[in-house]
Amino acid sequence: MSHSVLLSTMILQMKQSFARPMFRFCLIANPILNTVLLYEMFRNSGEKDFASYVILGSGLMAIWGCICFSSAGDINRERFSGTLSLVFAAPAGFPLIILGKILGNTLLSLSSLLISLFTAVIVYRTPLTLASPGYFAIAFIAMIGSFVVISSVLACLLTLSRRTTLYMNCIEIPFILLCGLSFPVDILPRFVQPVSRLLAPTWAVELLRMAVAGVTDPQLFWKNLGIILILSVIEGLFAFWLFQRIDKRVRILASLEVC
Amino acid sequence: MEKIIEVTHLKRDYSTMRGTFKKYKETIHAVKDISFSVNKGEIFGFLGQNGAGKTTTIKVLTTLLAPTAGSCKVMGYDTFGQEKQIRKRINFIFGGEMGVYRRLSARDNLRYFGNLYLIDKKVQEERIDRILRLVDLTDSADNLAETYSKGMIQRLQIARGLMNDPEILFMDEPTVGLDPLGARMLRDIILKLKSNDKTVFLTTHYLPEAEELCDHLVILKKGEIVASGTPKEIIGDAANLEEAYISLVKDDAK
Repeated sequence: MSHSVLLSTMILQMKQSFARPMFRFCLIANPILNTVLLYEMFRNSGEKDFASYVILGSGLMAIWGCICFSSAGDINRERFSGTLSLVFAAPAGFPLIILGKILGNTLLSLSSLLISLFTAVIVYRTPLTLASPGYFAIAFIAMIGSFVVISSVLACLLTLSRRTTLYMNCIEIPFILLCGLSFPVDILPRFVQPVSRLLAPTWAVELLRMAVAGVTDPQLFWKNLGIILILSVIEGLFAFWLFQRIDKRVRILASLEVC
Repeated sequence: MEKIIEVTHLKRDYSTMRGTFKKYKETIHAVKDISFSVNKGEIFGFLGQNGAGKTTTIKVLTTLLAPTAGSCKVMGYDTFGQEKQIRKRINFIFGGEMGVYRRLSARDNLRYFGNLYLIDKKVQEERIDRILRLVDLTDSADNLAETYSKGMIQRLQIARGLMNDPEILFMDEPTVGLDPLGARMLRDIILKLKSNDKTVFLTTHYLPEAEELCDHLVILKKGEIVASGTPKEIIGDAANLEEAYISLVKDDAK
């Protein structure tokens, strides 16, 4: 039964998201603009492997934008349309429904990575060559997992508050910078870097770049993958704990609906 | 008679923070120490002016809000702490054009909520066809809900509320937006539910509807119960329920 809840929620989410102009902008226009801007910025930077930063970076930024604007925005939309209380009280369980929504958005947003790739190939004749395709596939799955887990934590917190739109706008750019989606984490101020290292997507992005450039040290690859797994489990448990907590908190705070 | 809902000394406050520099807490007492019970299989009417606390009480009973004080038991389970046992056996319909996914068709909306209520696929399909016929949406079942009129959305909400064949159906102003035929249809559905030994908890501003349908009425004023009894008991010497109601809820009423 839970698989049909998950599947039907994913399909519903993809239908709902794609029908919205803002989501289509995040999904289609955003990766094109990001690719162009990042390409121009990286062109004279001297960075050797800038293709992976431009294509992966712009694609990942667009994926995050879709997840952030959609996952967060959807909670608000559901709140305003009166369906948040319905799904909250459904016997299928709120965490499962939220997971379905996040998976739906994440899967749909993966197409922005392809759009970034096509933009780079068509406009700049810069293809993304994968030196280690097998490792890339593993890193890609790890990246999806890490995004889903972090989105679950956010979804919990955003259900608690009615200021969802404000938080949604506040977290988009810091997350892009902290996780090194478009620039290496090493160029961030030293005091910020520990925060980056606590986020599973930071390691997943590094893993992807490692696979694009070619994995020369497999031990380092597996070690980083292990870190992603540990962080994802911790963040997943945190999300689970939050879901248990919010079930009571939202009913005390009356935040399921608009007053 | 088996008591299916028991509300004891229920209070519910809403607090908001006010002030830009000097913050202070403002508390609204939406429901102030109310107690009542509902028997299994009855149509229970919950009346009151806007802001009287009707929706707040329904939300506590449907496990969407926590009580500030007191207790609410539905089918013997506490609405705050034992909600899992309650949720699969109840459903609720709120008035207005809310509570449906507008970018899905009526059929897809019902299928989705059928999944959320963990209803077997085969049972779902049979039930969806029957409910769509009941609310007269069969012809437009595959059109997107965003193309529906206000009354059609309200009928879709009613259909959604019936999807899990609930033992108790909570209806908060369900006739809002319905044309006379739609309102008649809803009254027939409510009576059919009663004949199947289901319990209906109804709030409405249409007093003739309450007088016609309800076995028991509670009238709420500013979060407090001002009258409780059968429609006949509440009407007493008044000409009808409307007259009795107005004399109870108007501001200079004792």
